[in-house]
Amino acid sequence: MSSEVTSSDNPIYGPFFGVMGASSAIIFSALGAAYGTAKSGTGIAAMSVMRPELIMKSIIPVVMAGIIAIYGLVVAVLIAGALEEPSKYPLFKGFVHLGAGLAVGFSGLAAGFAIGIVGDAGVRGTAQQPRLFVGMILILIFAEVLGLYGLIVAIYLYAK
Amino acid sequence: MTNKNKKGNGNDGRAAKQSVKQRSEDSQDYSSLKTVLFYCSLIVFLPVATFFALKGFVLDKFFSMGELKVNIASAVGAVVALHLAFGLYIYRAYFTDTKSQTKQD
Repeated sequence: MSSEVTSSDNPIYGPFFGVMGASSAIIFSALGAAYGTAKSGTGIAAMSVMRPELIMKSIIPVVMAGIIAIYGLVVAVLIAGALEEPSKYPLFKGFVHLGAGLAVGFSGLAAGFAIGIVGDAGVRGTAQQPRLFVGMILILIFAEVLGLYGLIVAIYLYAK
Repeated sequence: MTNKNKKGNGNDGRAAKQSVKQRSEDSQDYSSLKTVLFYCSLIVFLPVATFFALKGFVLDKFFSMGELKVNIASAVGAVVALHLAFGLYIYRAYFTDTKSQTKQD
């Protein structure tokens, strides 16, 4: 129906890139978040057998991994809201949206891996030495910030 | 450092004391579950609510803003709200847990 107004700037496959950007944003972020949740979850489960009173403190890596997925969700919603029919959606926009989605997706994947590994070791360590908690939080925040950098780049790209 | 193991204390207490201890542990678990559930739902739903509220509100108030800017402003607002809720949770976890630990001893 709109194919008669497509041109070399607005090809029929233009939105494909935007759609791929939106889905890769949430897919890779969710991958990272899932790994982070699972890895730190095993640590919490092993630690809570002996120190169940520390559960509230040790949930923090899981929550941080969940935040990574929310970054991906935000960018995916932004990109999905900007998708249009091919006639109103230039190819350039599609490329930019693909870049934004990949930026937040792979940053989220990396941050989720880091949170999982640090959360596992940190939670197990906190059970033995409670003063490790502050250090674990700091390391987790630095891991989390990696995902935030991806979000910033994605929003900056989206604003182009 | 010192291994204050709750389980060990419970085994020393035996029978009648055990059920009282179990009940107090249950109520403690329930209260911590309530707290964790509250903060987790806050962290999950607050950014989503902020995103859509800001999108509607900012769009109404500053009508001169473009659609793109409104989207970006609401996304940034949602992420900021998320971090505020998360900071609140860390604060609560850090201070409440040490308090409850001293109560147990």
